[in-house]
Amino acid sequence: MKLKTCIHAVAGLLASTAIVSAQEVSLDLWTIDDPGEYHYVLAEEFMEKHPDIKINVRTVQFEDMVNDLARAVATGTGPDITYIDNPEVALFASRGLLMDLKPYIDKSEIVNVEDIYPGPLASVTYEGGIYGLPRGANTIALYYNADMYREAGLDPDNPPKTWDELYEAAKALTKPEENVYGIAFSAVATEEGTFQFLPWLQMTGGDYDNVATEGGARALNFWKRLLDERLASPDTLIRGQWDSTGTFNAGSAAMSISGPWELPRMSEEADFEYRAALLPVPEEGATRASALGEGDNVILASTDNPDEAFMFVEFLYAQMPRVWNEFGYLPASDVEVTDPNNAEIYAVFEESMKYARNRGPHPEWPRISQAIQQAIQSTLTGQAEAEAALETAQQKIDGVLGD
Amino acid sequence: MARFIRSVRDARGLDAVLVWLALGYLGVFSAFPLVYNVVISLQTVDLFSLASFERPFVGLQNYREVLGDPVAGTVLWNTIQFVVLSVVFQLAIGFGLALFFQQDFPGATYLRGLFLAGWIMPALVVGAVWSWILAGDFGVLNYLLRSLGITDGNIFWLSDPNVSLYSVIIANIWLGIPFNMILLSVGLAAIPRDVYEAAELDGAGAWQRFFTITLPLMRAPLGAVVSLGIIFTLQQFDLFAALTQGGPSNASNVAQYWSWQLSFQTYQISYGSVVSVLMIVFVVAVAAVYTRSTRHEQSY
Repeated sequence: MKLKTCIHAVAGLLASTAIVSAQEVSLDLWTIDDPGEYHYVLAEEFMEKHPDIKINVRTVQFEDMVNDLARAVATGTGPDITYIDNPEVALFASRGLLMDLKPYIDKSEIVNVEDIYPGPLASVTYEGGIYGLPRGANTIALYYNADMYREAGLDPDNPPKTWDELYEAAKALTKPEENVYGIAFSAVATEEGTFQFLPWLQMTGGDYDNVATEGGARALNFWKRLLDERLASPDTLIRGQWDSTGTFNAGSAAMSISGPWELPRMSEEADFEYRAALLPVPEEGATRASALGEGDNVILASTDNPDEAFMFVEFLYAQMPRVWNEFGYLPASDVEVTDPNNAEIYAVFEESMKYARNRGPHPEWPRISQAIQQAIQSTLTGQAEAEAALETAQQKIDGVLGD
Repeated sequence: MARFIRSVRDARGLDAVLVWLALGYLGVFSAFPLVYNVVISLQTVDLFSLASFERPFVGLQNYREVLGDPVAGTVLWNTIQFVVLSVVFQLAIGFGLALFFQQDFPGATYLRGLFLAGWIMPALVVGAVWSWILAGDFGVLNYLLRSLGITDGNIFWLSDPNVSLYSVIIANIWLGIPFNMILLSVGLAAIPRDVYEAAELDGAGAWQRFFTITLPLMRAPLGAVVSLGIIFTLQQFDLFAALTQGGPSNASNVAQYWSWQLSFQTYQISYGSVVSVLMIVFVVAVAAVYTRSTRHEQSY
């Protein structure tokens, strides 16, 4: 008996040294999350499953990610794995800084490229390679205040489907004497403005490389009309989506165009019945489009442990069915989400995801985006006609595309 | 070794050490970045070539591109307005307050100290406070103006392209007044009382005393305050970041903010450097005027 315990103890000791002597791998992960959010939670879970792999998570501010990453890569101090906002993947991939995951994905039993929705897939694809895996996705839809609809004599079961209906609804819902605007959205001169405007352009057949179109002018003039007639606040020009939707939550706007990231705060702040609908289209039967947000998990080309890094990225991808309920993103691939929170709104966003289109991809995306922002702003402030503003933007974009 | 220590102990060697220390510091922390900035402005540099040395020289091409940008004219005119209006009003109000607190009334020095509170606050905080004051739909200022019956509707201070630049200027004037006031108060305190007493005995009125004694004797402090004001105003970045981000549609964009946007939003770092080089040239000119004005400072 005594001998037996002794043998057990020795065996146990041997086993534990075997684990220690198995090369412990350490991976650096950069994220925009704070502790308690996606990357932190999942890194913990992964480490529990794989005690021989240590993941060091570091938070980088969203606005600083591109700058910090570029600087770190240049000085050889970059992480192994990082999160990048989806329009930025091409910027890094085009410079050979990201690892092509395609050979790994081809062998993977978890990642199946056909399952990834076309928008998110396009955002990680660059010249035939796949440079990241989406961690989730988001898109935009039309939130509306069902109580205000009833008050204004509108049918909350029948939200606007076309631009004309949207205009009529906004008009009926605007109450200047009570400081209530019909609709809130964002035309701010940042990436958010581009994010909100592109779907409108895409619904009319244009895209980031083809902005000087009749449809583009129509979309911009529609926005301008909302502002000029004060159906939306003039501050739409300087407010991001979060602040715009804040006015919706406070009951100062009857509708708001934004994404699923609003839901946690909306459920706390909004003391009315809110619902969501797909973005209205130019006219019945027109092509749908929506924005594509969220980012990707990418592996840097400079990593020393590509196998372990891919194991982790693959593990993250495998959590796709959980992202809606636990982290508030939409799945970026075709997975079954059981018992989703906010089921009705989830259904709207899930359908909207099918129409979500990528921004770009292009290695010089920030310059293209800025040209679009400038066209939006100069039209809405009345400094230029929509056609002329879009023509100027087109020239700039052609300059970038021709580079 | 002993000779070295002796040379440090006697004043000549110490002088040399101090001079080299100061020059070394200036070389590493001022001259190098300045020269490097000029070099970048002559090359094609983006975010990724920033750390490498394989950067093609393009001569003055970047300068042509930046100055040829249609936004450049707007930015230049905005910058001129921003600097001139900010400095003029900061100086006028600051000088007025300095004169006011020069009157001996109970608590004058304490109240003057309180005025510094605004100046101590970080500009980003000041920006956040002003953005609530100036907000279009729910702003304090609009509420006040409407309650007093001065305006009918809301003024969109930050999103109306005709107004936004002036909103930032107002915030910047507020921010700069205390600094102007304190510097000018010090200048005023240095003017001997007996000069005023003599003038008063000779029958000079308040206005005469101001124009014939105060203004001429305040020449040097005023020059210093104007030069520093111009330099500080050209460095004002936080207020733009907090209030308008240069918008809408560049209506409130100024050189320093544009330079940042070019470098860190569209990653055209060489273009950003061009703007900052042009600003440096201007600031150096102002600084030269400033050092001249302090050199002529008189003592009584």
